[in-house]
Amino acid sequence: MRAWAVLLACLLSLSGLQCCGNETHMKSIQETKRTHETRLLALPDVVSVGIGMSADGDEAIIVGLAAPNPETQALIPQKLGEYPVIVRISGSVRAQ
Amino acid sequence: MDTILSSIIPVLDSVRATLMNHKNVVATGVGYKVTEGRKTGQLSIVCSVERKVPLSSLLSHEILPESVDGIPTDVVPTGRIRVFEPPAGRFRPAPGGISVGHFEITAGTLGCLVRKNGELYMLSNNHVLANSNDASAGDAILQPGPYDGGKNPEDMIAELSEFVPISYTDAESQCPIANGVAEVCNLLASLTGSNSRLQAVTVQSAPNLVDAAIARILKPEDVKDEILGIGSVTGTAEGKLGMAVRKSGRTTGFTTGEIQQIDVTVNVSYGGGRVAQFRDQLLAGPMSQGGDSGSAVLDNDRKIVGLLFAGSDQTTIINRIQNVFSLLGVAL
Repeated sequence: MRAWAVLLACLLSLSGLQCCGNETHMKSIQETKRTHETRLLALPDVVSVGIGMSADGDEAIIVGLAAPNPETQALIPQKLGEYPVIVRISGSVRAQ
Repeated sequence: MDTILSSIIPVLDSVRATLMNHKNVVATGVGYKVTEGRKTGQLSIVCSVERKVPLSSLLSHEILPESVDGIPTDVVPTGRIRVFEPPAGRFRPAPGGISVGHFEITAGTLGCLVRKNGELYMLSNNHVLANSNDASAGDAILQPGPYDGGKNPEDMIAELSEFVPISYTDAESQCPIANGVAEVCNLLASLTGSNSRLQAVTVQSAPNLVDAAIARILKPEDVKDEILGIGSVTGTAEGKLGMAVRKSGRTTGFTTGEIQQIDVTVNVSYGGGRVAQFRDQLLAGPMSQGGDSGSAVLDNDRKIVGLLFAGSDQTTIINRIQNVFSLLGVAL
């Protein structure tokens, strides 16, 4: 009986560690951007996705739009993972 | 000091026209007199001349007075004063920051000189030196570019050597099977009265890193290893968020900006419906226009951080120089 309790405690603590391990593993902003950029770039008028700074000086994912597009803007989340997402109207990008 | 100055300026104004009529005089102003190469504390009327000539070779009325109303004059050779040479002109030797182009394009910018296997090349964009993939090694590169009056072969300065091909997304497919299927479906669509049609397209999964090419310099004496209005390149550096950058280009000349984004993935239009996706780019604020493509982008220590190739009203898109150098196998 005692052996079972010890085994159960071990299993619980292991799963607890596993759980905490997952919680502390925070994706870098580069990884987060890479995970979402294909989906973001497929939205109408989205021309770029990059890493920049918010007005507060925090790292942010910046989504550039060729022109204002309320439907697209409504589909872009305000945060991806831990990171703020900022929409900027950049105009369409052409080879110069 | 101000009282002296305010008394000199009316005197200068009264004789300025006479002084400017003297042979060789290109400018007049007020400045400290220089005697035997040293600046003195004495204010004088400075007459700038194209070049100093011995008094013996001048006629008496051509000699500038030693003083005017008790104010000494100073004669300073400055050379001929010209309007700043526009970067769209013809330059020999040619520095970076000026007009250049493949013989079948309009014009872009010569970035800087690079070396490979001991040979000298110019660096610019694929769409400037290699006509956006539509070119062959050995093609003529003109300075200035054709739009700026460059003629083939008179203005040929280099020959296309290598370029990194640009992969376009949604390009029309070259696959005969896909095109055949699309044709059959379109025929069926027209028979059923539908107005919709299919077009086979090639979707590139691998995005681009650079829009870059090099052209071999034909005569080393035709080029100058510096950038117009910036000077010589001192090395390479990694573009970082907030970094102040500068460039010199064919259309907007010398401009400055700041890197606002890194690790940028961006869709760039190449005209004719062609779009190419680039990743790992730097993005700066607006500092360029059409024709500036190919400009080298440098930090304040004149280290090169990137190659400018695209932009919008609000942004400038720059290839990381590390990607450019490694894909082309070149160095400064």
